[in-house]
Amino acid sequence: MLDRRLVMVSGKGGVGKSALSAGLAILAQRTGRRVLAVDMVSQGGLSSHFGTGQLTFQPREIKPGLHAMRVVRAEALLEYLSLQLRLPGVGRFGAVARAFDALATAAPAVREIITIGKILWEVREERWDLVVVDGPPTGQLGSYLRAPVSIEELVPTGRIGTQAEWMRATLADPKTTSLVVATLPEELPSTETLETLAWLEREQVAPDPVVVANRVLPDLGRLESDDPILGAMADLHRSLWAEQQHWLERVSPSVRIPFLFGLFTPGEVAAQMSDELEAAL
Amino acid sequence: MTHTLLVTGAGGVGKTTVAAAVAVTAARSGIRTLVVTVDPARRLASALGLDELGSEPQPHRDEPLLWAAMLDSGATWRAVATRHADPGVADRLASNEFFQAAAEHFPASQSYAAADQAATFALAGAWDLVVIDTPPAGGGIDFFTAPAQMADLVGGRLLRWITGGPLPGRRFFYNRAARPMLRVADTILGSDLLERIAEFLLDLRTTYDGVARRGREIEGVLRGSHIVVVTTSDPAPVAEAVRFYRELPGVASTPEAVVFNRVLPDEWVDPPITEGISAQLARCAHLWGMETLRQQDTRAEFSARHGATVATIPWSPDPPNDLDGLAALLDRSSGFPWGRFGMEQTK
Repeated sequence: MLDRRLVMVSGKGGVGKSALSAGLAILAQRTGRRVLAVDMVSQGGLSSHFGTGQLTFQPREIKPGLHAMRVVRAEALLEYLSLQLRLPGVGRFGAVARAFDALATAAPAVREIITIGKILWEVREERWDLVVVDGPPTGQLGSYLRAPVSIEELVPTGRIGTQAEWMRATLADPKTTSLVVATLPEELPSTETLETLAWLEREQVAPDPVVVANRVLPDLGRLESDDPILGAMADLHRSLWAEQQHWLERVSPSVRIPFLFGLFTPGEVAAQMSDELEAAL
Repeated sequence: MTHTLLVTGAGGVGKTTVAAAVAVTAARSGIRTLVVTVDPARRLASALGLDELGSEPQPHRDEPLLWAAMLDSGATWRAVATRHADPGVADRLASNEFFQAAAEHFPASQSYAAADQAATFALAGAWDLVVIDTPPAGGGIDFFTAPAQMADLVGGRLLRWITGGPLPGRRFFYNRAARPMLRVADTILGSDLLERIAEFLLDLRTTYDGVARRGREIEGVLRGSHIVVVTTSDPAPVAEAVRFYRELPGVASTPEAVVFNRVLPDEWVDPPITEGISAQLARCAHLWGMETLRQQDTRAEFSARHGATVATIPWSPDPPNDLDGLAALLDRSSGFPWGRFGMEQTK
C-alpha cells in the first residue's frame, strides 16, 4: 500500500477514517518517505489527529518529511484557472472563479473533478513519494471516483474533457493508486461497506480496495463470572465480540486494527494507529 | 403549541434510534407526536410502522398518538419546483438533467428537504411534538444553513449577473459584463455545456422569490426549535458535538443537552479484580474499566468546556427493535431535558 503514489481512505462517517489516514501518513513518514497528507473534503479530522489546528490549502510541514493540507475548492479552482490560462495575477480571476463555482454547482461532476484533480496533480508532481488522502465518506465516494468518467461523457470536447482522461487512468491504475475502505465490524458500517464494494466491482473506476476493519476486539475466550460487575463486563465483551465475528466474516477485511483502549486524545490514537498498521502491513 | 425537537449529531451514534425513542416515550405519555427519520435501519423502520416508505406521516398501528414519516429528498426538490415555479417551467425543471444533478450533488439539498419538511410539520399544528432526526450532510450543520444556501443557489447575485436579469422567452443571452468570464469557461468546459447549464439556471431563478420567502419561514421554525446533540464517547463524534455547540447558537439556538449514547456503568471504573479470577477475565475487566474511565473523562470535559447539560443513555446489548425496546432505552437514561419540550415528567 505504501509503495503506491496515492492512498485514498474512505469509509462511513465515524469508523476512524481520519485516524487511519493519519496513522498511514505517519507510518510512511517514519519509513523515510516524503509524504503529503490531504484532508479532501474539509472534515477536519486529520488536523485534530495531527494536532495542528485548521489545515490550509498550502501544504505545511508538520513533521520532517510529512506535509499536510486540505483541499479548498475555491482555491483549487483559482489555481487551476491560473495554470490553464497561463496568466499571472490570479486575483484578477476571483470573479471568474466565483462565477465558475456557481455554475459548477449545477453541473454534475464539475465540483468533484476540481477536488480530485487537485489531488491527482499533487500525485503527478515529483515532490511527494506518497499522497495519503483522508477521502470522502463512502456515501460520496462514487461521485468523486466517477467524476472523470462523467466529465468525459458530459464534455468530450472541452479542455477539461481531455484532462479527465489521464485522471481516470491514474485513479484506475493499481500501480499508482490504492483505495482503502475503512469499516467497523458492526451492522451499519459493514452493510455500507458491502454496498460500496459491490459498486466498485461494477464500475471499475479504482483498483480493488483494501478493506480495513477498525476497533476489532480481542478474543478472550469463554469469560464467566458470578460477580455482578465482572459478569456484566464479560457479557458486554462476549456480545460485542460475537457481533463483530458475524460482520468480520461477511466483510472479510484484509487488515484488522485492534480496539485501542485507554487512549484519550486524537494525537495518541494516530500514533498508536501507525504502530498497529506497521504490525498489520 | 407544537414543540419541535431537532436531534443532531454525527453519523453512526444512534441519532435515529434516540429520536425514535424520544417519540415513543412522548407518545406514551399522552403527547401527539410525529417522528421524521432519515434512512432508518430496517428493524427500526419496521418498529415505527414505516414498512412502506413515504414522506407523508403515517399513524402507527399499535401506538395511537404516534405518527412517523421518512425523508425523501428527491421528492422535496420536485416539490420546490412545483411550489415555486410556473407549471411549464416546473415540468421542464423536473425533467432537467442538471436539476437532478443539483438535487443529488448540492451538498445541502438533503438538508434543505429535511428542513422544509420539518417546517411543514411544525407549522401544520397537528402534533404537540415533532421530532426530527436531522441528516448528517455537511457534518449536520447544513440542516440549519440550508434554507439560506438554497436561496443563494437559485438567486445569488452572481447568477443574476451571469444571466443578466429577467429575460423574455427561452433563448439564453449572456450578460455583456459576463462575456469575458464565459469565454474562459467555454474554453475549459465546452460552450454547449455552459449554455445548457445557463438555461437551467434561468428556469431555476424563477423560483427565487418563493424559495427565499419559504427559507425565511423555515429559519423561523429552526430558531424556535429545541435541539439535542447525540454522540457516543468516541473522539470523532465528540469533535462533531463540540462543533454543534460552537456553531448552533449563531444559526439556530443553543442545544438543550448533549446526549451521550452507549454509556458504560460508572461502577465499572474500579472492577473487583481479585486473585482467583482467570487472566482473560482480568484482562476484560481491565480493558472495559479503562474504557469506562475514558468515557467519564470525555463527558466531564464536555460539560466543563461548553457548559452543557449532559444526558446519558446506557449501553445495551441489543439494539431496540420494537416500541417497548425504544421506550426502555430512555427509561434507563438520565439527565434528559423532558420538561423543556412539553413533557412534564422528568425521567
